[in-house]
Amino acid sequence: MSEFWLFFSALLAFLGAVVVLISMIGLVRMPDVFCRAHAFGKGLTLGLALLFVGLWIDLGFENTGMKLVAAIVFQFITLPVASHLLARLSYEKKLPGSEVEDRGAGDSPVVREGSGPASPHPH
Amino acid sequence: MTTLLLQASFYLLIIAMLLGFYRLAKGPTVVDRILAFDAVVMCAVGQVVLLSRLWETPHYLDLILIVSCLGFFGTVVFVYYLQRTLTVKSLPSTSEEVTRE
Repeated sequence: MSEFWLFFSALLAFLGAVVVLISMIGLVRMPDVFCRAHAFGKGLTLGLALLFVGLWIDLGFENTGMKLVAAIVFQFITLPVASHLLARLSYEKKLPGSEVEDRGAGDSPVVREGSGPASPHPH
Repeated sequence: MTTLLLQASFYLLIIAMLLGFYRLAKGPTVVDRILAFDAVVMCAVGQVVLLSRLWETPHYLDLILIVSCLGFFGTVVFVYYLQRTLTVKSLPSTSEEVTRE
């Protein structure tokens, strides 16, 4: 392991930690549960993938095998799914903090599924 | 320089975990708390990655996989439970939301 690869993997780990920190700042400061789910899903996926790639370079392929690749693929599948599940739960149950306007494009407004008998179409 | 970067990443992840605990304590609804808990678990996974770099051992890779699995399935179980039981009336401090159409 040359000095350059050690430094490069440490730089990848540092970048991953920075992206995770930015994601958590977004989780604290965003005003809405959908914005928080967005920050969670994007930032943590990229940050953890960078951390895993740094660890993979550092330990080498003969030590880790395919476990870290499996971990990266697993993160890329599960974290957006968790974010989407939580945002969908908050949207369906109409929790406080998820009162979004249903802004459709032009003359085809988006109708919320299961939103009761109130119809947004007067015509 | 390399050790400096790794120590800086440790401290950044600790700050990230503290921010997640802040959202976990403050979160207005239960969805925010589940989100913050999952984020804290993922920060713990990042700390395990950095510890595995520090001690130069590949023995923690199973721990990484299992902990991230547990975080995800915990979230899925919470959502599956809340999707059947959660109503706006069951939440505290939402008395003005109940009358909303």
